[in-house]
Amino acid sequence: MERLKAALSYILIIVIILSLAVVLILSVGSDVPKSFMSFFRGIFGSLYGFSEVLVRATPLILAGLGVSIGFRTGFINIGAEGQIYWGAIAVTTTAYLFPGLPALIAIPLGIVAGFVAGGIWALIPGYLKARFGISEVINTIMFNYIAINILGILVRTVLKDPEYPLPMSSKLPEGFIFPLLMYPTRLHLGFLIALIAMVLVYVLMWKSSPGYKLRVVGLNQRASLCSGIPVKKYIVFSSLLSGGFAGIAGVGEIAGIHYKLLEGFSPGFGYVAIIVALLGKNNPFGVTAAGLGIAALQVGSLSMQRQAGVPASISWIIMGSIVLLILARSTLLTFFAEKEKEEKV
Amino acid sequence: MKDIDKYFFGKAANDKVSLEVKPGEIHALLGENGAGKTTLMNILYGIYQRDGGRITWKGEEIHFGSPREAIDNRIGMVHQHFMLVPTLTVSQNITLGLKSEGHPFPNRRSIDEKIRELLSAYNVHISPTDKVSSLSVGGEQWVEIIKLLYRNAELLILDEPTAVLTPQETERLFRVLEKLRQEGHSVIIITHRIPEVLEITDRVTILRDGRNVATVHTSETDSVELSHYMIGRELKTISRTPNTVSPQEEGLGLDELTVEENGRSVLGPLSLSVRKGEMIGIAGVDGNGQKYLAEAVLGVRDCSAGKVRLLGGDVSSASIQKRKDMGLGYIAEDRQNDALIMDMDMRENVLLRMYSKREYVKTGFIKYANVDETAKEMIETYNIKTAGLGKPVRYLSGGNQQKLILARELAGSPPVIIAFHPTRGLDIGATEFVRQKLLERRASGSSILLISSDLDEIFALSDRIAVLFHGKIMAVLENDGNVDVNYLGRLMAGESAESGSNSRRVE
Amino acid sequence: MIETGLIAALTAFLSATLRMAMPLTLAGLGETFSEKSGILNIGLEAIMLSGAFFSFIIAFMTQSVLLGVCAGIAGGIAVSSIHAYLSIHCKVNQTIAGLALNFLIIGLTSFLFLIVFGKSTTLPECPVTPKIPIPLLSQIPIVGTVLFNQDLFVYFTFIAIFLAWFFIHRTEWGVSLHAVGENPKAADSAGLNVFRIRYLSTIANGFFGGLAGSYLTLGLLGFFMENITSGKGYIALVVVILGRRNPPGILLAALVVGAAEALQFRMQTAGIPVPSQLFTMFPYVITVLVLFLAVGKSREPSALGIPYIRSKR
Repeated sequence: MERLKAALSYILIIVIILSLAVVLILSVGSDVPKSFMSFFRGIFGSLYGFSEVLVRATPLILAGLGVSIGFRTGFINIGAEGQIYWGAIAVTTTAYLFPGLPALIAIPLGIVAGFVAGGIWALIPGYLKARFGISEVINTIMFNYIAINILGILVRTVLKDPEYPLPMSSKLPEGFIFPLLMYPTRLHLGFLIALIAMVLVYVLMWKSSPGYKLRVVGLNQRASLCSGIPVKKYIVFSSLLSGGFAGIAGVGEIAGIHYKLLEGFSPGFGYVAIIVALLGKNNPFGVTAAGLGIAALQVGSLSMQRQAGVPASISWIIMGSIVLLILARSTLLTFFAEKEKEEKV
Repeated sequence: MKDIDKYFFGKAANDKVSLEVKPGEIHALLGENGAGKTTLMNILYGIYQRDGGRITWKGEEIHFGSPREAIDNRIGMVHQHFMLVPTLTVSQNITLGLKSEGHPFPNRRSIDEKIRELLSAYNVHISPTDKVSSLSVGGEQWVEIIKLLYRNAELLILDEPTAVLTPQETERLFRVLEKLRQEGHSVIIITHRIPEVLEITDRVTILRDGRNVATVHTSETDSVELSHYMIGRELKTISRTPNTVSPQEEGLGLDELTVEENGRSVLGPLSLSVRKGEMIGIAGVDGNGQKYLAEAVLGVRDCSAGKVRLLGGDVSSASIQKRKDMGLGYIAEDRQNDALIMDMDMRENVLLRMYSKREYVKTGFIKYANVDETAKEMIETYNIKTAGLGKPVRYLSGGNQQKLILARELAGSPPVIIAFHPTRGLDIGATEFVRQKLLERRASGSSILLISSDLDEIFALSDRIAVLFHGKIMAVLENDGNVDVNYLGRLMAGESAESGSNSRRVE
Repeated sequence: MIETGLIAALTAFLSATLRMAMPLTLAGLGETFSEKSGILNIGLEAIMLSGAFFSFIIAFMTQSVLLGVCAGIAGGIAVSSIHAYLSIHCKVNQTIAGLALNFLIIGLTSFLFLIVFGKSTTLPECPVTPKIPIPLLSQIPIVGTVLFNQDLFVYFTFIAIFLAWFFIHRTEWGVSLHAVGENPKAADSAGLNVFRIRYLSTIANGFFGGLAGSYLTLGLLGFFMENITSGKGYIALVVVILGRRNPPGILLAALVVGAAEALQFRMQTAGIPVPSQLFTMFPYVITVLVLFLAVGKSREPSALGIPYIRSKR
């Protein structure tokens, strides 16, 4: 009975979302079937469309994995955006310092650098939380802005391309650039790395001892303490991991898409990643699926805009609504359960 | 209150309980933990609803649906957990929620004056403009009491008021209570402490197991009688074979162990030695330092002074992990919060103790095959009824959860075991099982520290019994079948050990 | 000669700073009420954006600033009500609810904007509140121009700050609000209606946030475009912390941020090669320091972000 009710509530949510989409499409004056068709055609209709989904999903999956690790351990990482920026800064700086490296060394080095940079950026709020109890929610938001500004300073000074008047770095040396997986799409190595990360996170969290302890700390700090797990150390550790994966997302965007460090390369990936982690229930496979789903939503919406005239901002509306409905779901469930009880009595 | 019934989940917390309080009287509600005292008062105060019986107040039948109604009827209660806002002043806390004159622009000055008068009338040296956060725990309690008086409470109910007070503060409290009595207020004190009952109250009503035992005038009774009422009953004896206790070898040693909280000593200095093959039962009413003792030995809580020894080695500054590795098993009193991860399955809960052992974790990776095997063994040996290894332990019954914890902690025959309320919330079958297992461990040479407020259990299992009161050991008695239960009860209720009683005292 | 030029520049700078700080101040005020009662609203951005959008639309259609402001306030309250329902009734994670609202409203306002105005290259404009100099006081050099030659929004904000301060620190309502955020159990047992107070405070949040958004369009810019608030809602959260949830402190904190922004513009137009990001970063670094230094001292309402569940024990 419980599972039936749960399934019904999800179906109800899907129905509401679809109805909302229809209403929005109609309000623009577009044709509903045409819009839905173009939505799906945008994703599945062409190789390029499909590859775009994977391309857009890459940073979402990576950052989402990072955020989900944090969530599982009780570290609410709103700072993924800043950690992504630091990953980007790290790979660019590394490339500047060692421009001649061959790809076999350069690419892993860049990834590690991004992981470390993002990890450290998250570690500071993590440490402040473990040691002083300072809420990481506001702290990580602050750190986002600081990171964005630091990048802004760097691309105008130290890392600036001397030949361009615009604030951005020069193109990354060949060795550091992620190879394309499928020409002529934009799909690059980053996606593979995201998948590898997905498996890595799974193995780490469910098959290894440190991952086990991380999960225990997230579920019951008191029992962890009584069983001998150093809780504070693990909170800090989780923040490091969380930021690290977000950092890799930053590496991917620079080394795989833009090939240079520039401002605003992330249209809020770090924030969307939080939604991705939530929708994916903090499970690496769920996060990947959610990342792909959100990416598909965005690609499909763009296609819907091009072909049926529906503004692409519909994707944000749908995404926000899904999350809000899921949040309210348990209340809606109990609401119906209460009504049932009343009727029975 | 007459014939009050109250059932929780089918079990009677109050069974036809009656209480009568006269105006201008200080009345004690005496009993052990779980006797039903707080439940009864919560019913009066409107927090719980009674299932049967009648309550009359000043001649009229009443039925409070919330504390608000009780307060409006001039009945006030000070709970064990204070309801104060630390960042507000004393005065603001006292008037919180009240629509004072000039609401919403209260004349703070005149209110402060009124409160100042009230405070000095009762000789309480607190300023109404002090922030509550700057007060001591005793000070906070004063605020709670004055809060009731400010709202013209005629009947005050105090729940274990002296639990958080120093002896001097207790004295001051008693002076205030006397003044209240002179002024015609009535006071009900919920307590388990006999010396205090004898000192300040007019009459005592004793509850046991949710039922009335007796109501007497304080002047006509003494501690022996009260203790008898509180505890006295025939205790069952489980056959417990005397064990060869090696007097030289110590399993667990406590040396002047002291624990402080907020600058006050809440435990100790306490010294105790548990030999190998010996079980010492710590008897005492809940809240006298048991938790601090267990936590200090485990290592969750730091001791401010003194030593803890495991198998002769000083572990006072050792981590919990280290102590476990040295051979400490810990059966927690609060399964759900301290010992189990409810949303994890059996295997992962078993792992909670094993994760440092090489047979289960190799190069960072968990060998689930081994974990599974061990878990299956435990299920067999301990007869744990479970729907499956992979189901969250949340779905196990309390008894099976406890069995799991036992199996896990006792695996590998740890030489030192702390059993903190090991049979709390278990049915008879599970209780017997747990006790059996503890005796088995004892027979094989483990040192066991049994902390329990269940006297039956203490008597059934312990070789020696130590009574804990206010964080100190009042006496250590040999459990040789001749123990005077009443004497024990008095010790538990705060009376100091006397020499020349009918039981031998052992250091 | 140089002096008057300098004075004029200084006056203009201060005046601009003050005006830019107003939306932050208003939004910060609203968030203060909410947070003091224990509700953390990360979705402040959504409230402001909603206020900006609806005030613009109505002002555009009716050419009335007053109606526009009302619409903006209504828009803000609508959004904050959703947050209130989720936080108080559904007891969900307030941070995530706020974030989701941000996404939703960004999408919704962009979408609706496109529907109403289509894709025009010129941004539609709306009437703007005029400056109303206060007689006599505005004649005072520098100070007069800065403080007393502003529009109604600014004057309202001054009054609002004073009233908010008075409300929180001098009335019994303020004490009740404080109690609900610090120890809802104690407040509940004292007879205060925790849920009602929290709902009211979130409505206040919506009111001021919506007003802040309205000022952005009707007071400062005169137009609307996609994501016009661009993060100001998050900055307002900073202002709340920097200002220690104290109305006058919030004004000061908003001025600090506003000054940083204004300084940044000046420096860019003056062509000074110092990266402006150093200044824009400034408020955030300070906030982290403030958070760090405030450790141990009571810094935020103890029940902030924690849904209140009345346990039946």
